[in-house]
Amino acid sequence: MGKLFRDFDALLRGKFTRREDLLAGRIDVPVGTLVRAGLLLGATYGLFMGLYAVLRPENPSWLQLIVTTVKVPLLFLLTLVVTFPSLYVFSALANSRLRHLDTVKLLLAAIGVNLGLLASFGPVTGFFTLSTDSYPFMLFLNIVFFAISGLVGLGFPRRAVDSVFSPAPVSRVQSDLDESPEEGRDHDSPADEGASGDDADASDAPPPERQIIHTATMSPRPSEASARGRQIFGIWLFIYAIVGAQMGWILRPFVGSPDLPFELFRERESNFFAALLNTIEQLLY
Amino acid sequence: MPMTLFADADALLRCEKSYRVGRGPVPWRGLIVLLLVGGWTYGAAMGAYGGRPLQMLYSASKVPLLLVASTLVVLPNFFVVNTLLGLRDDLGAALRAVLAAQATVAVALAAMAPLALFIYASTNDYDSVTVGNGVIFAMATLSGQVTLNRHYRPLVARDPAHAIAKRMWLVLYVFVAIQLAWVLRPFIGALEMPTAFLRDDAWGNAYVAIIRKVTRFFIG
Repeated sequence: MGKLFRDFDALLRGKFTRREDLLAGRIDVPVGTLVRAGLLLGATYGLFMGLYAVLRPENPSWLQLIVTTVKVPLLFLLTLVVTFPSLYVFSALANSRLRHLDTVKLLLAAIGVNLGLLASFGPVTGFFTLSTDSYPFMLFLNIVFFAISGLVGLGFPRRAVDSVFSPAPVSRVQSDLDESPEEGRDHDSPADEGASGDDADASDAPPPERQIIHTATMSPRPSEASARGRQIFGIWLFIYAIVGAQMGWILRPFVGSPDLPFELFRERESNFFAALLNTIEQLLY
Repeated sequence: MPMTLFADADALLRCEKSYRVGRGPVPWRGLIVLLLVGGWTYGAAMGAYGGRPLQMLYSASKVPLLLVASTLVVLPNFFVVNTLLGLRDDLGAALRAVLAAQATVAVALAAMAPLALFIYASTNDYDSVTVGNGVIFAMATLSGQVTLNRHYRPLVARDPAHAIAKRMWLVLYVFVAIQLAWVLRPFIGALEMPTAFLRDDAWGNAYVAIIRKVTRFFIG
């Protein structure tokens, strides 16, 4: 348990997503720990969210509390399953430095941050559950907390996007080229002699010709690559938000309407956004 | 004891000695004592409107409860937000800032207790005393802001992200405190209502009540 919290604390502090690691195309996040912490944090918020069903005067339901505790982590897991393939394809098309497993790790890290922030809102949700009987207000409050923690959590990989999509460091391109036998044979220029000589500074600095190859043909300029990365991430974020919202609608009830009996899932009808407008209308009148 | 208390309150307001700006151990004992004594003092004065000792006792216990419980509910989020913003190394100083601000609110409230009694002595109108108490709470909150800003100034200078953490703390704290104040009413005690620790309809929602009032006002 102690290791779980230590690792999660390190994640919140950004120790697993350092810029230099992302530039090197790796994320050293302990996946098992992250999944366990995510489940625990999601269940914690689910507990606070489901409390309303136990405390409401009409149809109090312990079952709803238990089910909501399971459903909150499930909501995030299923949304990830649905949206991950599209992110991976988009980012691979844009020459992301992360392979599929590293992309999963980055998204798990983002969802971990999302759930950490959501769980920290738990006491506030619990307090309002204890002090209010307005079902539309509780629905709206939960939607706001999910939205805030989602925006912050997904802002977390957004910061990593620049590193992930920026062109490879020059030294790495240089070493890639050096490993190619053809390249090694073809280049007999004085610059190559300098690169293979004893002078360490000279070997670190790429020859002018290779810098030209790197910037002109191998990668777009850093700002272009980052802008493209941001665009792709923005599209994925939009998809993730829509899928997450609708997934929440499919998995409902989470809070549990006082007028309706307990059900594991409600009938498929309407959609999340229509229901949100309806909730706001109920709040107003 | 009272002299120590005054010296402590003075040090808190001036951000001196153990209440100084910056890192260091959180002076829990002093802050809690000031918060409780300040809250009790103003709460007792606030409940004196109807001249009912039991209402004074109830209100005296509820004002510190309001300040402490609101803080406790928001602290987990404050911790996570500071960590996410990469401000964990300054968490001790940030915690000192928000707790010192809370204690300052309590001390300022206590200092304005005579004002509340003066308002009660000068009018019987319940709406007027409600507004008077509202203004006193607003002034005490602004006093707390002064302490909060003093503590946060060097933190923000070191890392501007502290300004975000401070703003998030304030928004969530006020959001929770308004609802808790609604739940814990009555603090003043309307003359036509019986003395009570909580109203019968305590478990309502301040925001729903406000939203519906505003909607009725504009739409009818």
